[in-house]
Amino acid sequence: MEKTFTEKIQICKKNKIAGLYPTTKFQVVILFSISTIVLNSIKLTDFKLALLLIPWFLLVPFMFAITGEFKKCMKAMKAISFIAIFIMVVQTFIVSGGKTLWVWHFIAIREKGLQTGLSLCFLILNIAGIFVWLFQSTSTKEITRCLEDTKMSFKVAYIFASTLEMIKVFSSKSKIILDAQRARGVETEGNLFIRAKAFIPTLVPLILGGIIGSEERVLTLEARGFSMKGNKTHLFNLKKSGYERIILTISIIITILILAGRIYLWIMN
Amino acid sequence: MDYELECKDVTYTYPLAQKPAIKELNLKIEKGKLYGVIGENGSGKTTLCSILRGFAPSFYKGDLTGEILVQGKALASYKDQISRKIGYVFQNPFTQISGIKNTVFEEVAYGLENFGIDVEEIEKKVINIMQLTDIMELAEKSPFELSGGQMQRVALASVIVLEPEILIIDEPTSQLDPQSTESVFKIIKKLKEEKKTIILVEHKVDLLAEYSDEMIVLHDSKIIKQGESREVLSDLSLREYGIRLPEVTLLSEKLREAGLDIDQLPITKNQILDLIEKKRKGE
Repeated sequence: MEKTFTEKIQICKKNKIAGLYPTTKFQVVILFSISTIVLNSIKLTDFKLALLLIPWFLLVPFMFAITGEFKKCMKAMKAISFIAIFIMVVQTFIVSGGKTLWVWHFIAIREKGLQTGLSLCFLILNIAGIFVWLFQSTSTKEITRCLEDTKMSFKVAYIFASTLEMIKVFSSKSKIILDAQRARGVETEGNLFIRAKAFIPTLVPLILGGIIGSEERVLTLEARGFSMKGNKTHLFNLKKSGYERIILTISIIITILILAGRIYLWIMN
Repeated sequence: MDYELECKDVTYTYPLAQKPAIKELNLKIEKGKLYGVIGENGSGKTTLCSILRGFAPSFYKGDLTGEILVQGKALASYKDQISRKIGYVFQNPFTQISGIKNTVFEEVAYGLENFGIDVEEIEKKVINIMQLTDIMELAEKSPFELSGGQMQRVALASVIVLEPEILIIDEPTSQLDPQSTESVFKIIKKLKEEKKTIILVEHKVDLLAEYSDEMIVLHDSKIIKQGESREVLSDLSLREYGIRLPEVTLLSEKLREAGLDIDQLPITKNQILDLIEKKRKGE
C-alpha cells in the first residue's frame, strides 16, 4: 500500500544512534563537553600538558562512525581542524612563559605556549566535534520538533528553524547578487582587496532584501494563523530509537568516572 | 443587507507619514463577487488590502479612523481568528513560504497545523487543494527549489486550504511570466466558481476585465470610481488618472471614432465578438 504524504515526511533512521531522540543527543553533548573541560584540567608530564584530551578526542570520530555519518561529519570537521591547528601553532609560538623547550633563530617554543596551544586546540576539536556530531546526525526539522516538544515557545522554535534554513537561502541569494553586480561591471575576481571591495555591493542588497522580505514573511505567517492560540497539530512527529536510556546511562557513568578521577587526583596532590 | 466587508469613512496614515495613504474610504463588498482593484503605483492599493485584512494598523501601526466591518462585526473583534475569515496572498512569491518546511505538502499544510485540525483531515484537504491548484506533482519537492510561478501557486494553495470566506490577493502575477500568470488566473477562476468573495489587485486590466464582477479604482489614496466592471472599464476618462484600459475597449473606441455605432464599449473578447456578430447581422 502506498504511503500517505504524512507517512512520507516522517524520519525513520535505521541506525539507532543516529535515531536517538534529539534531547538525548544534546544531553550526551553536554556531558561530553563537561568531561572535556574536566580532562583539560588534568595536567600530565613535567610540562603540565592536557594530554588526556588527545585519546579523548578519538571518541569523536568513533561517534561519527557508529552514527553512520563518518564522511559527512569529517567533511564538516575540516574547517574546524584547520582553525584548531592554526590556534595551536600561533599559541605555541607566541605565548611566552616557563622553560624554553626549543629555539631556532628568533622562533621559540616555551612551556606555557605549548600548554596553551595544545589545550586550546583539543578543547576546540573535542567540543566542536561533538556539536558537529549532533548537528550532522540531526536535521533542523527534528531539532525544531524537539524544541516544540519541550514546551518551548513556538515562536522561538520557528526563529531557530528559519534561521538555519535561511542560511541556505542567503547563500544562494548572494550568488545571484554577485552575478548581477558582475553584470553591472563590479569586479569580483582578483586579489583580496578587489574581493573585499565587491563584498559591500553584495552585502547591502542582501541585507536590505532580507529585511524587506522578513516583513512580508511575518505577515504571511500571520495570514496562516501563526499566532493563533490553542493547540497546534504536528504532521511530523519524533520517535525514540529505544537506545536513549542506555546511551545516556553510559554517558553519565563515563562523566562520573572522569569527575571521580579528577577529585581523586586533587586529594592525592 | 449584511456585507462581507464594509468600510465606513476609513482614513489611514502610516507612522511618520505626512499624508494619509487611504482617505475617506467607503466600500461595500458583497458575498461571492470578484472585485478588481486598479490604480497607479502609490495610489493606495496595497494599503487598502492591508486595511481590509487588519494588518494596518495592527502590524504597521499608524492612525486609522472610521469603521471596518467583517460580516457585520468589527474587524478588530475577530482578533487571531481573522485568518479563518480572510485569506491574504502577497505580491512576492519568494517571501510567501514559511521557510521552515521541507516539502510543498508540509508548506500547504502549515496553516492547518496552526489551526489545530486533525492529521487525517489535513491530509485530505491539502490533497484536494493541491489538485485544484495543479501542484500535485510538486508535493514532495522543497519549496525553496520552486520557480516563481510554482511558488505563487503554492502560496495560493496555502491560503485557500484554510477555506477563508474572503480572499485578498495583492498583485499575484506581477513577478510572473505569461504562462504562470495564466495558471494563477485559472485558480482564481475556480475560486470564483466556488462563490468565494475575492478582492484582487492587479495591473493586467485585460485579465481583470475577463474575471471581475466589479471594479474599484483608486487614485491619490481615494476611490474615484466603483461599480460593475463593464461600466467602470469602459469609462475613457479613467485614462486621465493614468489607468490603462483593456485593449478591447481601446480598439472599440477607435472603431467608434471611425464611425461604428457602439452604445457601450466592450471590455472583454467575448463582448467584442458579440458586438461584431450583431453588427454583421445588421442589428
